[in-house]
Amino acid sequence: MQKKRVFPLGQGVLYLLPSLLLFGMFVFYPLLDSVKLSLSYVDLMGEAAGYAGWQYYREMLSSAQFWHSLGATLLFAVYTVFPGMFLSLVLACLANWKLRGIGIFRTLFAFPLSIAVAGASMIFMMLFNPSTGVLDYFLQLFPLPAVFWLSDPNWALFSIAIIAIWRSLGFNTIVLLSGLQSIPEPLYESAHVDGASPWRIFKDITLPMLSPTLFFVFIVSVINALQTFGEINILTQGGPVDATNVMVYAIYRDAFFNQNYSYASAESIVLFLLILGLTTLEFWAMERKVFYR
Amino acid sequence: MKKLWYRWTAVLLLGCLLAASVGCGGQKEAAGGDGKPVKIVFWYAVGGKVGDATKELVDEFNAQHPDIQVEAVFQGDYDTAVNKLKQAIPSKSTPNVMQVYDIGTRFMIDSKAVVPVQKWIDAEKFDVSKYEKNILAYYTVDDKLYSMPFNTSTPILYYNKTMFKEAGLDPENPPKTFDEVAADADKLTQRDASGKVTRPGMALAIYGWFFEQFLAEQNSFYADNGNGRDGMAQKAAFVSPQGERILDWWADMVKKGSTANMGRKTADTQKAFVAGQTAMTIDSTGVLGDVMDGVNGKFAVGTAYLPHPADAKDGGVIIGGASLWMLAGHSDAEEKASWEFIKFMTAAKQQAKWHIRTGYFPVTQEAYDDPSLKEYEAKYPQFKLAIEQLHNTPVNHSTQGALLGVFTQARQEIEGAIEQVLNGQADTHDALQKAADKIDSAIERYNQSVKK
Repeated sequence: MQKKRVFPLGQGVLYLLPSLLLFGMFVFYPLLDSVKLSLSYVDLMGEAAGYAGWQYYREMLSSAQFWHSLGATLLFAVYTVFPGMFLSLVLACLANWKLRGIGIFRTLFAFPLSIAVAGASMIFMMLFNPSTGVLDYFLQLFPLPAVFWLSDPNWALFSIAIIAIWRSLGFNTIVLLSGLQSIPEPLYESAHVDGASPWRIFKDITLPMLSPTLFFVFIVSVINALQTFGEINILTQGGPVDATNVMVYAIYRDAFFNQNYSYASAESIVLFLLILGLTTLEFWAMERKVFYR
Repeated sequence: MKKLWYRWTAVLLLGCLLAASVGCGGQKEAAGGDGKPVKIVFWYAVGGKVGDATKELVDEFNAQHPDIQVEAVFQGDYDTAVNKLKQAIPSKSTPNVMQVYDIGTRFMIDSKAVVPVQKWIDAEKFDVSKYEKNILAYYTVDDKLYSMPFNTSTPILYYNKTMFKEAGLDPENPPKTFDEVAADADKLTQRDASGKVTRPGMALAIYGWFFEQFLAEQNSFYADNGNGRDGMAQKAAFVSPQGERILDWWADMVKKGSTANMGRKTADTQKAFVAGQTAMTIDSTGVLGDVMDGVNGKFAVGTAYLPHPADAKDGGVIIGGASLWMLAGHSDAEEKASWEFIKFMTAAKQQAKWHIRTGYFPVTQEAYDDPSLKEYEAKYPQFKLAIEQLHNTPVNHSTQGALLGVFTQARQEIEGAIEQVLNGQADTHDALQKAADKIDSAIERYNQSVKK
């Protein structure tokens, strides 16, 4: 007995070793190195050269640019997470109907999942084009004024959010659909027998039973929203007038174009803490409301 | 969920192993001397049809030089390529030859990882007198030619001759000054009954390069210390009446509706011009071929000098594009081979072909004697003007272009300033001053990091 108790630990570590190694190499080491860089001066090649203390953190916290980026990031999360979850819930419910040929629709709904961010951005770049874009053409049919989707600072973040929502639809729908399908049929049957209205069934059976899945989708969506990069890099480069300069893009810009590696590292540490904090908060606030069977 | 996780880890591990083994396969062999060809690596940073033309030239070189083997590697766009070089320098895995954009010049020199081509020009007494002097001037720093110009372009005004005629303007007399452009753009603008603009007279992309060009047209500096040509630049110098005049002119046209603000991408303004949705635009000579192909005879395309304020003197255009750099730390045999390669790429015959395929200027005047180029010039007379514009530009510190280690950021800040002014969020002086403050602190940081 005594022996057996020690053995599982060793075995467990052994099993974990490959992923620990990978995590160590690609996550923990870069993370520690970023902490180091954020506290150092750097040379022209971006190598640490001397201790700088908290200078870059102070510089960052007193920079209007940083607070603007933080605001844009949170706003972007609000723009994408809730509409994205709502739309995918609607789609998942539709796809859950047992109809002939529903498989085709399920595939269609999951379709955006298979398109890489670069491809999606190129598609929307054409749709958004100020002179030949289709979206403006439809608007003018109505007749609504044409929108400069990506070059109007009031619209740009919203336009990027549309792409992000569309891109996340596939994944969210699949996950929610699998959640819907794992709800035991007898629950619905007895509700029908009791004569419950569809809305009542949705509110009192579907939603509570789906809450763990919704919670998962919520957490993943928030994290994804805070880390959006591809669409912005391809379509707006943070512009116009910094409207889409979210944190991840600002970090990229500061590190690889402005050669301000220390400052960018400090920003990335703050983003890391922000995501960590938000996720913890979400767990704390919502986990007890989630209904696990 | 858990099982899936293990499977992913396994897949990842496998992927890493695969990547590692592929990495080993690409190792460089030791340079020749024993009959084997000398192998050199060339990084280039242009894609699409320009990238194809580059590869073709490399293939030609390899076919004609059995003793040298050039491996051409595409590294993404200019910025990405320079970032990769930054990783390669500390790990001593730099290429032999690399294509670097104009504004990377200061960084390349400060990296101390390059061999100025002047070394080989002096050693071989190589004759550069036939190379365009304006182009050489850009890449000459402290009287040394650091890199060999390769692809070069300048901005010109494109205009729709058919629309000029319709608006009652002389299609053979395009606007030359800021005021003339503004007046013509007004006349070319079409509005509906409610006064809403249906077709702007001009579309101008928010591109920092244009601002630099308009400054040079006025013989005015972008940075101090003689545009960074007399010594390391310490501060931005564009908060001047000349700088403000550019933005005032631009914003005024946008406010009136005669010029459209379509964002930062020149591809979008180019598309609008080709589609006949605007009568004028400013763009690089490098896209003339694309414009002509796109228009395809639907209307007559005119080209004109880049406009300037009426009283501007002794100014002109700055060349843009990229040059070929030789990296240090390679064997003598490889360096010699690199030099042969660079000479080949910039020689008359190759440059004539390059010009026809890509629209970039030939960097050597000898290329104009090439029969194929003469034929091309007859087909696209629009190009002649661009070459004239280059030849009519006096060489001085403002038309040589600024040398700045933080040019990428500076351009971005200027573009932000232009956006703010065009959107009416700041006045010209404040926007430029704010950009200058940011650039100043970036320069300070850069200059310090060079010392380290």
